Amino acid sequence: MIFFVLEVILASLGTAFLLLAAIGLVRLPDPLCRCHAVAKAMTLGISLLLAAVIMHLQAEETTLKLLLAIIFQFATIPVAGHLLMRLAYEKNMERWKERPMDDHRAAASQQK
Amino acid sequence: MEIFVQILILLIIVAICFALYRLFRGPTVIDRLLAFDGIAICSVGILALLSLLWETDMYVELILVYSLLGFVGTVALVLYLHRTIPVREPGDKKPPKGHS
Repeated sequence: MIFFVLEVILASLGTAFLLLAAIGLVRLPDPLCRCHAVAKAMTLGISLLLAAVIMHLQAEETTLKLLLAIIFQFATIPVAGHLLMRLAYEKNMERWKERPMDDHRAAASQQK
Repeated sequence: MEIFVQILILLIIVAICFALYRLFRGPTVIDRLLAFDGIAICSVGILALLSLLWETDMYVELILVYSLLGFVGTVALVLYLHRTIPVREPGDKKPPKGHS
């Protein structure tokens, strides 16, 4: 019974985080902000969903595989986000309109 | 329980539709790549919810392989774009060719 309640709570929270990350992907103004939504909220959401699957199946080998999958999500999604944002930084892509910053690489080197 | 899991799958499909909007609309290529990454992650979420719905453990390997494929696709495209697209000069009004 306790596992059933945990499973329902974990699945609902995971889906809510995935949906919030997608809304952030639409609403936020600039690639760096959108990556902030995707890299953090989607990692948490997919990990909670996989934890709900662990609570539901409850067999040793599937639990080990799903724990491996959770560790894998935590290792890969932030790395992919970091690679994308390093691309945006090095190619000097445009920032959002309310705070225009023409060359953020030069701004970063002036602050040193 | 079945109705509950089906509603959750519907919500993730709504999330995929939002990401598809950003995939088609996105002003730069990075937005499109981020949306692709998000769609891959949401597909893994749908696989997890399907294994809840049908009470099978055959989708666990599929979850592992699918998340690996999304990550490798993103990394390959980023390493390709590092070599090909030009740097935007400060003062440009229009983004250079290849940034969209």
